[in-house]
Amino acid sequence: MISGEEERMDAAGIPYMIRPGKGPEGSVLDLLGQLIGSGGADALLLPFRVPSGDSFAWIMFSDVSLLKDAVPFPATMPVQGGRALRSLTRKEKGKLRIIALMRPCEIRAGMELSKLGQVNTENLILASYDCPGAVKLEDYVADPVSCDSAHSEMRSRGEPSGNARSACSTCVDFSMVDADIHFGYFGIKDGGMLVLPGSPAGRALLEGLNLEEGRGLLPQWEAEISRLAERRAATREETFRETAERISGFDGMLATFSNCIGCHNCQSACPICYCRLCYFDSEVSRTDPEALITAAEKRGGISIPPDRIMFHTGRLAHMSLSCVSCGQCSDACPVSIPVADVFSFVAERTQRAFDYKSGRSDGEALPLRRFLKNELDGVHEMVKDAESEASPNE
Amino acid sequence: MNRQTDTEFTPKIVGFLCNWCTYAAADLAGTSRLKIPSTFSVIRVMCSSRIDHNLLLTTFFKGADGILVAGCHPGDCHYGEGNYYARRRFALLKKVMEVLDIDAERLQLSWISAAEGHRYAEVVGKFTEKIRELGPNPIKGSTRF
Ligand code: SF4
Ligand code: SF4
Ligand code: FES
Repeated sequence: MISGEEERMDAAGIPYMIRPGKGPEGSVLDLLGQLIGSGGADALLLPFRVPSGDSFAWIMFSDVSLLKDAVPFPATMPVQGGRALRSLTRKEKGKLRIIALMRPCEIRAGMELSKLGQVNTENLILASYDCPGAVKLEDYVADPVSCDSAHSEMRSRGEPSGNARSACSTCVDFSMVDADIHFGYFGIKDGGMLVLPGSPAGRALLEGLNLEEGRGLLPQWEAEISRLAERRAATREETFRETAERISGFDGMLATFSNCIGCHNCQSACPICYCRLCYFDSEVSRTDPEALITAAEKRGGISIPPDRIMFHTGRLAHMSLSCVSCGQCSDACPVSIPVADVFSFVAERTQRAFDYKSGRSDGEALPLRRFLKNELDGVHEMVKDAESEASPNE
Repeated sequence: MNRQTDTEFTPKIVGFLCNWCTYAAADLAGTSRLKIPSTFSVIRVMCSSRIDHNLLLTTFFKGADGILVAGCHPGDCHYGEGNYYARRRFALLKKVMEVLDIDAERLQLSWISAAEGHRYAEVVGKFTEKIRELGPNPIKGSTRF
């Protein structure tokens, strides 16, 4: 979201603009080419269309002649950018200085992973753009051509349409996030674009290019972003209300996940799920056949394979504090369970309980990695006069 | 297959007790011949912070009627700060269960020091009573989990 204008300019410097002409996509590619040309970075990480034409893939490259084939604002989100950043920097900071252009939710995932020590942002320049939402993978594979035009329609209106993911229709963090550079084009007439530095590193890079000062475009962009954010917030509320009703209680959970085939695609596509080996894929999580039979005898029957509801509850407990509501899990689900609606809904509540918001780069440690001595009084059973009775151990 | 049809419900409760404090308190309660319900099963852990969400969820989804996590009082953890982290983790799991509305009240966290044998008996007794009022874990009676 846009922070206060003054605060942002203090931290990052003044906004620049690019005049109408090439349109946002062309302008972004031009500018990235200049940044490589000026020696500001060694390589770029951008989406390209795959040869079959029905998807996109991340490509890292330094040869600027390849830029013309890049698709800066792809219609879908096949591999969450946070995962791409992890592949590049999971061991140490990258040897190359890489500029990565990604959706805001992909950068937010990268921020969470960096707090987990699985992404190193030191040599990364992260660039975000106003995101109208991503088209569902399923729809895209069926008809890339009409989905591309639907997506360009979405970009010009700044809003998700019918074949966008539900997570996008409910997303309120679709514009400037804690990236180094942001490209803002919603609400700006005739294909003009704002180039906003978001960090000292971003500012230093942009200062080297001969860009025009763009303060004049800020009001129309900001007005449009808040108008769109309000509309998405309304959809979010509505969706969350329905989700709350749908999932409530054991019966609700069973009904929501009743057709889950236990493939764990949602977990492997999720950029946040951070365990090297998921507990639920590990040997220790498998129930002994004998025990299953005993349980079946006691209960009168048992679902096989067992523990589907436990899997989803466990994943919620493990990662909802960092969930960035990107919608990747829903897109990956072969049986169309609205996984992301459930996870976003729960995540909003767990994050609120810890006064935390995922995806920021404010240097705040993850909630489970810090504590206050005096907090959460209501969580443990209350001790009346234990103080007098208690004695230190040993 | 025969479903349980007993009239008097005796809750099955699992206690995850920290070795350095509550487990010793349980011992003390035993030697002091205090009454502990026989269906209260104890699992000894080295610190309350050893307890992962999946340990509790597995216990819960396998049908325990109640789960007690008990460790040293804040400030007294044998390893310094384990119980502060445990408290956060516990709070998170409770929150998730609360939001999903799946019987969060079947989980309890208590601080019981090695010297508090009486308090141990009291906490276990009261918790058992509470679970008895709540009735059996609905998962136990369902064929769908
Ligand atoms: S749980 Fe789903 S919505 Fe949340 S971060 Fe993972 S993939 Fe994205
Ligand atoms: S992707 Fe869908 S079917 Fe597969 S485990 Fe997740 S919810 Fe179940
Ligand atoms: S040693 Fe008892 S809670 Fe950590």
